[in-house]
Amino acid sequence: MTDREPDAQAAAAPGKYLTFTLGDESYGITVAVVRAIIKLCPITPVAGMPPYVKGVINLRGKVIPVVDLRTRFGLPPRADDERTLVIVTALPTLSGGARLHGVIVDRVDELATFTAADIEPTPDFGGAIDIRFIQGMAKSGDRVTALVDLEGIAAAEIAAPGPEPIAPRATPASPA
Amino acid sequence: MLAAVRGTGSLSPWSPPDASAMTKPDDSPAFAAEAGELIGKIGLELAFVTPGQAASAAVLDDLFAELLVLLPATAPAALVDGVTAAAERLASVAGGGQRPSAATIALLGDWLPWCEEAIASWSAGRTITPWAPPTADAGAAVPAEPVAARPPVSPAPSPPPVAPPAALPDLPEMAVDVVPPDADPDLLPLFCAEAEDLLREIEQGVLVLETDPTDGAQLAALFRAFHTFKGNAGVMKLGVIQQLTHEIESLLDGARRGQLVLGREAIGVILAGADVLERFVAELGAQAAGSRPRGALSLPVPAVIEGARLAMLAAPSAPSAAPAVAAVPQVAAAVAPQPAAAVARGGAAPPPAATAVPAVPAPAVVVPEPQPAAAPAPGRAASRAAGGAIVRVDTHKLDSLIDLVGELVIAQSMVVQHPDMVASGDSDLSRAVGQLRGITSDLRRTAMALRMVPIRATFQKMARLVRDLAVQQGKEIQLVLEGEDTELDRTVVDDLSDPLVHMIRNSADHGIEPPEERARAGKQRCGTITLQAFHQGGYIVIRIADDGRGLSPERIRRKAEERGIVSSTAALDRREILELIFAPGFSTAETVTDLSGRGVGMDVVRRTIAGLRGKIEIDSSVGSGTTFTLSVPLTLAIIEGLLVGVAGERYVIPTLSVRESFRLQPGMVSTVHGRGEMVMVHGRLMPLLRLRGRLGTAAEATASRAAGADDGVVVVVEAGADVRCLLVDELIGKQEVVIKDLGEIFRDRTDFAGAAILGNGRVGLILDVAALVQLRGRQGEAAA
Repeated sequence: MTDREPDAQAAAAPGKYLTFTLGDESYGITVAVVRAIIKLCPITPVAGMPPYVKGVINLRGKVIPVVDLRTRFGLPPRADDERTLVIVTALPTLSGGARLHGVIVDRVDELATFTAADIEPTPDFGGAIDIRFIQGMAKSGDRVTALVDLEGIAAAEIAAPGPEPIAPRATPASPA
Repeated sequence: MLAAVRGTGSLSPWSPPDASAMTKPDDSPAFAAEAGELIGKIGLELAFVTPGQAASAAVLDDLFAELLVLLPATAPAALVDGVTAAAERLASVAGGGQRPSAATIALLGDWLPWCEEAIASWSAGRTITPWAPPTADAGAAVPAEPVAARPPVSPAPSPPPVAPPAALPDLPEMAVDVVPPDADPDLLPLFCAEAEDLLREIEQGVLVLETDPTDGAQLAALFRAFHTFKGNAGVMKLGVIQQLTHEIESLLDGARRGQLVLGREAIGVILAGADVLERFVAELGAQAAGSRPRGALSLPVPAVIEGARLAMLAAPSAPSAAPAVAAVPQVAAAVAPQPAAAVARGGAAPPPAATAVPAVPAPAVVVPEPQPAAAPAPGRAASRAAGGAIVRVDTHKLDSLIDLVGELVIAQSMVVQHPDMVASGDSDLSRAVGQLRGITSDLRRTAMALRMVPIRATFQKMARLVRDLAVQQGKEIQLVLEGEDTELDRTVVDDLSDPLVHMIRNSADHGIEPPEERARAGKQRCGTITLQAFHQGGYIVIRIADDGRGLSPERIRRKAEERGIVSSTAALDRREILELIFAPGFSTAETVTDLSGRGVGMDVVRRTIAGLRGKIEIDSSVGSGTTFTLSVPLTLAIIEGLLVGVAGERYVIPTLSVRESFRLQPGMVSTVHGRGEMVMVHGRLMPLLRLRGRLGTAAEATASRAAGADDGVVVVVEAGADVRCLLVDELIGKQEVVIKDLGEIFRDRTDFAGAAILGNGRVGLILDVAALVQLRGRQGEAAA
């Protein structure tokens, strides 16, 4: 599905990350790509797309696709509640521009700053786990946050859209 | 008001006040103050901008936009140009969502002090030094010295030479230096822009002259156009071009004074001259912009100059021909070795070169009555006046404005239709809302009008095309243009040009018969192609009609069978047979000519038109001609859609593709073994596609088939010659929608042509009818 260099993922840069929760797990994405956080609004489904592409929404007059990261990562489904949010991100496109994408998450937690010392390379889970889109693991206190490579996900999406969800995988990190 | 004006008969004609004289003292200080503030902000941004960051470019872009808006109309050209140049440089970066390079930032760093100085100069009434950006390309290219010595070979890949019109003497081309050595870089684009305008005028004028070579107004307008061109070329020190325009101007001067009449050869020479100028101007523009290396261009200048002189001598002339010949200046001696001699032996025996190509007989007309004083061309004067204040705007900005206006319309309707608003009995509020609605719809109309351009320029290209085709094929064809002022979206105009060229070529090539054949058939020797444009609903309709031999259904059918496009047993009505010419791989031409048989067929035309969300229809009767009718939406940004409900969602079907719709009655659906479901419509079986099955979930699809098999509304859609019935749950209504791109993630979902924001604020998907119609035997797949 993707030919990305394995080294590329190890390089999660230190800086500010927006952390959010999917199930029991904490994830983070770099704030550089975040444009807005909005409440979940009615989604228009697009037939024939893989299950994690929920459809499109109207973001102030722009039509943007919405991806459910929970489904994307193979986590069990969960009913939306009032804390379910959409993180609007600007991701690069093939043509070199940027396009807004919505990412559905269970809960948005905080804006965290991770230093280089906080970030460790993604451990080798022995091949059982798909770590393609995890750039590193950041520790803060007793919490471990998986840093997600959204750009990599989007690139893979554009390169080969199709129903190829990542296999359900073990918990990359969980509170002690 | 009107009556009052009419009453005061002594009023002198209104003339525009001298704007620069009136407003200059007031404008500059006010502008200087505001601009100073903006320039400060730009400077601040520049200090903080880091190369490679898109966001900072956007801020700068906004500041420049403000500065441009602030510039009063009376600002000196040098200032406006400088600001525009910098803004464009930046917009090329920011508009594309790209990041400014260090070079761009450095350039703007240089620009800033210049701009401050320029504004100060203006306020103080001093002259402004034009902004000269340090061109990066200039360093890369060879320094400006080669211009003095003429390189013998043209380094630039010149376009293939235009087939020379009949009357041109056979003289070798010459290498013409393109960018003058000491050219003012700021003046070059101005020269090019003006030259393009003049060339358009020239081409149009010549075509009018062809029908009436003594049209005094046109002669005068044409003379003036060449004269202006010559003057501009002189300013730019383009010696050869100046000389060329001078020769043609002399020819026109003679005609204008009634000393000679322009024959077909003379007109051919003028057109050839215009072609030379066009190629030169295009090359000059490219070289000045740095997109082409500087160097000389090989052009048939000697042939045109010689042709112009011969035309002057050969033209049937009024008694005073002698002074016309005497008026020919001898400047050309340096350019071509021959001309002086040719002029000398002129009138008696035409030089051998000219006799070699008498493809078109020169009509020997004697001047009926010389027109001493030429009346000014009213059309031209009017267009000049109307075109007085034109602003060039980046199309990206225009598009985003139109997008925003579209959203405003939706937001407005959401407010107006809000239950609280409807329930409120407050008359002030409802009046205010009504006013809002009025303004919004005016705004939308105005915004859409910004993109609209008349189709005139495209039509006029066809005039030239028909003329060339007629000359080259020895046919007599007149082109009648109607509705050239009909306006449509700029992008649509651009895309329409190729299909029109192709169809006009078809008409001229295969439709219109040679004069003798026409005479035998009892028709006028001269064939007519009518090109007509008009508005109908949200569409522009373009009709191309010829009075030629028409299309023979039998021949089309035979050809289609030979090529395996249709089986010999298929039952087709007349219309369906005619439609076969749009099938890929079909060509009605018995022999492929070099003009229309370039490997593109009518299938390409149809595809292009379909790409514009339009359609093309054909009608023809043997012996009396063929008519093509194109309907294309006025704009690509907005379509009229039929809103349908499928499995709880709303979808948009472009209205142009909808033929009819009706409620599905029990027993209408029949299953053809192995070929899916069919519906009987007007006695014909058409394939049925259940959208619930295709667009809904699998469970919904199964339910639809099992339980409600005969429930719903059938929408009959067509794409090209194919028709399909779409079964939807309900019809909701019609709505104009702004089309939005779905994005790369969905690019493989060919069922959808895009998305639109509906009146309820939600996104509705626009169905791609062409894709749905072309689904083959897959209608049951989602249900299976």
